[in-house]
Amino acid sequence: MAYHDDLIEHAFFLTKLNMPNIPNQVDLRRAISAAYYALFHLLTTEAAQNWKHQSHRIRFARMFDHGRMKACSSKVSAGPLPNDPAEKLVATDLKLVAKLLVSLQSDRHSADYDNSRIWSRTDVHETITLAQNAITAWMAIREKGIAQDYLFDLMGTR
Amino acid sequence: MTVLPRGVAQPAELKKQLDALAPFPPGVANLRYTIEDDWTGEPVIFFWITLTDEASDFAVLHQTAQRITNFIEEGLDPVGKWDLFPHFSFRSQSEQAQLQGKDFG
Repeated sequence: MAYHDDLIEHAFFLTKLNMPNIPNQVDLRRAISAAYYALFHLLTTEAAQNWKHQSHRIRFARMFDHGRMKACSSKVSAGPLPNDPAEKLVATDLKLVAKLLVSLQSDRHSADYDNSRIWSRTDVHETITLAQNAITAWMAIREKGIAQDYLFDLMGTR
Repeated sequence: MTVLPRGVAQPAELKKQLDALAPFPPGVANLRYTIEDDWTGEPVIFFWITLTDEASDFAVLHQTAQRITNFIEEGLDPVGKWDLFPHFSFRSQSEQAQLQGKDFG
């Protein structure tokens, strides 16, 4: 199983701990983090696949910066849809991926750094489902031109 | 010069438009929102939505959440009209009774 799938499975596993009783916040926080990193690692690994020298790909994937990824994704998610029906389908999926990256990243930041926020099992379950949807949407468009442009722009190159 | 997002500059107008969206889709027991800075210091809008226990059952949770999210995004257009990226959080009435979070009111 790919690493992003492992992370999603692990995130769901964490939400089920201590059922039917109140979950431990630590489990929910780690689940949120895993859900974000599932999408993060999928995208950075995909981008690294474009690097010619295989031995450099892991280092390449570590060059991504969360803030730059957010800035790029905010722009993409707010952008207009094209008129062409075929392009529109691809762009809709890409906007979903970009929107969910911003949203999951914010959740992950709260989960890791804001101990005043109390998470519920419902909230975390839905967040993981959204990460799963983002991954599905990405897999449908990963070879398309605008998806490849997005990977490049995630580095904050423009 | 820093330009404030419209949702920050005109909070009363934002509230008016959100209130005008009611009634909300089935499953919403309570809805609150706050405008806060995200981790990069950008103002965003957080929706804290309490769902009925039936609507938050895992078998239907995603459908419920999507229906409500789409309703708010289409009706309010937080990014296009108010310059605020929306974040949505959900919990059930039972969870809120136990957790008593102030965000969810």
